[in-house]
Amino acid sequence: MVLVLALGDLHVPHRAADMPAKFKSMLVPGKIQHIICTGNLCIKEVHDYLKSLCPDLHITRGEYDEDARYPETKTLTIGQFKLGLCHGHQVVPWGDLDSLAMLQRQLDVDILVTGHTHQFKAYKHEGGVVINPGSATGAYSSITYDVNPSFVLMDIDGLRVVVYVYELIDGEVKVDKIDFKKTATMHS
Amino acid sequence: MAEEERRRRFSNLRSVRWRVDLGILPAPPEASVEEHRRAAADSRRRYVSLKRRLLVDPHVPKEEGRSSNFVVDNPLSQNPDSSWGRFFRGAELEKNVDQDLSRLYPEDGSYFQTPACQAMLRRILLMWCLQHPEYGYRQGMHELLAPLVYVLQVDIDKLSQVRKLHEDCFNDDFDGVPFPDTDMVFSYKPRKEPNWNLGDDNENNSERSSKTNTLDELDSDTKEIILLSDAYGAEGELGIVLSERFMEHDAYSMFDGLMDGGSGVVRMAEFFSPSSVGSSSNLPPVIEASSALYHLLSIVEPTLHNHFIELKVEPQWFALRWLRVLFGREFCLNDLLVIWDKVFACSNNMLLSSDEEYNFRILCSARGAFIAAMAVSMLLHIRSSLLATEIDASCLQKLLNFPTNIDVQKLIEKANALQSIAIDVNTSSSSFLLKRDSCEYDRVHSNHATSTPPRTPLHPVSESYWEEKWRDVHKDGTTPKESEKGNSFSKQLKKSLTQRLGLSRTESDPSPLKVLSVKNNARNSVRRCLLNTLSDDLGRSNEVAGKIQQDEFPIVSVHREPPMSSAEPSKSKAVGENVTVSPLCVAKLNPLKNSVVEPAHENATQRTKCIAEACSSGENSPVFYAASSGNEPENAQDIDSESSSVTSNSCAGDPVIDGILKDDSSDSNDDSKTIQDSEAASSDTSPDQDGIAERAVVSNERKPFISKLQWLLKLGRPSVEGNMEKSSGETSDDKQGVDTSCSSLSDGNSNNSRGTVKMASGDKKVMGTLKNLGQNMLENIQVIESAFQQDRGQPGPVENFSNNILGGKGQITAMAALTELRKISNLLSEM
Repeated sequence: MVLVLALGDLHVPHRAADMPAKFKSMLVPGKIQHIICTGNLCIKEVHDYLKSLCPDLHITRGEYDEDARYPETKTLTIGQFKLGLCHGHQVVPWGDLDSLAMLQRQLDVDILVTGHTHQFKAYKHEGGVVINPGSATGAYSSITYDVNPSFVLMDIDGLRVVVYVYELIDGEVKVDKIDFKKTATMHS
Repeated sequence: MAEEERRRRFSNLRSVRWRVDLGILPAPPEASVEEHRRAAADSRRRYVSLKRRLLVDPHVPKEEGRSSNFVVDNPLSQNPDSSWGRFFRGAELEKNVDQDLSRLYPEDGSYFQTPACQAMLRRILLMWCLQHPEYGYRQGMHELLAPLVYVLQVDIDKLSQVRKLHEDCFNDDFDGVPFPDTDMVFSYKPRKEPNWNLGDDNENNSERSSKTNTLDELDSDTKEIILLSDAYGAEGELGIVLSERFMEHDAYSMFDGLMDGGSGVVRMAEFFSPSSVGSSSNLPPVIEASSALYHLLSIVEPTLHNHFIELKVEPQWFALRWLRVLFGREFCLNDLLVIWDKVFACSNNMLLSSDEEYNFRILCSARGAFIAAMAVSMLLHIRSSLLATEIDASCLQKLLNFPTNIDVQKLIEKANALQSIAIDVNTSSSSFLLKRDSCEYDRVHSNHATSTPPRTPLHPVSESYWEEKWRDVHKDGTTPKESEKGNSFSKQLKKSLTQRLGLSRTESDPSPLKVLSVKNNARNSVRRCLLNTLSDDLGRSNEVAGKIQQDEFPIVSVHREPPMSSAEPSKSKAVGENVTVSPLCVAKLNPLKNSVVEPAHENATQRTKCIAEACSSGENSPVFYAASSGNEPENAQDIDSESSSVTSNSCAGDPVIDGILKDDSSDSNDDSKTIQDSEAASSDTSPDQDGIAERAVVSNERKPFISKLQWLLKLGRPSVEGNMEKSSGETSDDKQGVDTSCSSLSDGNSNNSRGTVKMASGDKKVMGTLKNLGQNMLENIQVIESAFQQDRGQPGPVENFSNNILGGKGQITAMAALTELRKISNLLSEM
């Protein structure tokens, strides 16, 4: 029963001032065990805020991040799942599923979390899952129209992961849920 | 009797007996095994359904019909309805419970710390707390649960022993057809019929080993164990009363029964709640129960009780732990089981009918009374070491580290003895000061004077102020006279009061000493003058004040009794005697008329006493209290009550006085107005009928005095002078003296009083009045002295001082009174 928060592309302060208030009200410390952030926070204050939500914070470097010490990619194991993290601007074409699958095979993870497109996506692909949490602030993106603020909460429980998607559409928080079950045999 | 039978019935099986006591299994002594089994099965079913309902796994997919609203049901949802929310709340509870469980009985070894037991305890506690969200989980609940689980485990162990010994009785035989056991070579096995009639099978034992295989041969206890554990009896396996599989269920039922009290009086859950629901006063139940403890202790062992009060040891400091865990932390487990045997054996039913008044809720049932008695017997056990402590910290240390090498049986026997006292105390109306100890109380129980303890309304804060004043005045700690007390309790009361008065105030809020003030009121009420000038502050004052202003009441209206700080009963007696002498009436009146904003409780007390004496001695000289209540509602009450008592007694006065009254009334309208004032005052603001009734009772003794008082009121008028002249022609010289004194006083003070009366309300007025009065008193003293020195009946500078009669016998007493007056005036001038 591990709750993992996946978000990114906040672009604070350049393209957005802050996360939407409704999102912030939902994110209370104590419920979430891990946070994985795809990148482009961009400033330290956002890093500190996320740290306050949960001490276990993993970030990869986005192209606008001011902290140069974040890694390009990261892998971690939570429960039975292996998670991979990357910003996604390195993977060209941006947002292309096959390329991302390549990265997933490269990192050898069950769940790959990338961003950069500012658009929520969740694919089930070759026994693994590719998730794009979108932009938590709804920041402008040159490759996406009408960006809605969104983030993802994963509930990892044994061999099953439930993905809750929180999107702010027209000022209301909409939640959706996707179930993924890890097959006993790992994808090769 | 029935209880004893029950005891004998399950004497070896604590868990069954406790379940019977806690109401889970049927109580009637002849309940058959089947009934027990059925009850057990029912309780287990309840538990399982509860479990299904409360333990929520948000991962489990919901029923088909329910549309999953993810906005509500997501993990981050703040919505209280979401299952995730419940899950998180449960997780929070579980964390708290785990904290306590990890520290549960670590020394008593392995049983409670095993993971299985811990898991079971955790589940039970979680379930109960989820079922009772208003209580939540509080530390201590786990300690209540642990012994319950322990006894269940013990009984199951016993069962397995019996099983080993009497294996045959547990064989699975259906319809009497024996199953061949693999290792049984006997051709014939004893038949086992469903009702266990095995009487015919004895002869088959010869082929067996020494084991007995007939139930009838077994002792009744073992028989019972077997019957209760038969897998094929009523309700099948669910009905096995001693079952390991359903241990959790049983433990939960027992815990629930203990916490909820089984519709009885003592509900352990209440001890954990901070609110005052479920207690008879506004205190949290555990505080009230602690005070019940102290109350019982005060009756049984006043010295220890007073010691506690001196050290300011509040009962709930140690009683909280004792009560919440039912002494679980004070005794080792085995001793505790013995104590709990006794506690549960006492019935929890409410002993009082619904309309009976009671002092403490905990004492309303035998079980609660036993608990309180047990606590007191524990206190008595370490009495000597407690009395030796000097500071509250060391006292508390001794209390919290109760000695471990004790004979529990002795404690229990003592508790038995105290239990009946505890129950009696609960309804006794010869009320003790329930608030003698430092707990905060809101209820006031009336004093001895009445038979039913009235619930006096909460007094405002000012009352405590007067309490202090009164105590200050009573520096030497003289207790007020207790005129009607005759029983030992009142003596105890007096003693504690005496001690109490010397103590500084406790940290409680103002209400605690209400009882004292009530008692004082009871005594003072009689003395109070009906007139009330400075009642602006009081609600009702306007009317009366207006009337007073109209009537131009002299001093009499304004003043309260002076604080007779040095006044002792002896002196008051002297004053009382002085009353007999006419000029001394002035002396007597003066102090009386001194208005002091201070509480005149003690004065009133003494006055009443001396007045009573005077009355009883047949003196005609009236003793008048020109006491006017100041700004306190209690005074208002007193006055009201007094006025009511006066009016009620007015017809009972001396015939002479009545005659005088009639004369007076015929003379001036003011007089009638006076009476009307007082009546109006009483009728306007008689907040406390009980108090008035009280005082009426008290005042019955003082009828003559009261009538005289009333007379004084009438006389206290500027127009009284005319009356004075008239009344001077009356028979009683003393009365004349009073009249004259009244008039003289009135003359002297009327201006001041009037002025003061008409001033703005407030303490300043009172203070000013007081000062004036002090001066007037001084003047009057001088007058008296001069009168003494001069010839008899020759008044000094004061006019209308006609026919002063100085009884020869009274000269000495007069002098004493004068000195007293001087003191009073000094006091007043200091103010």
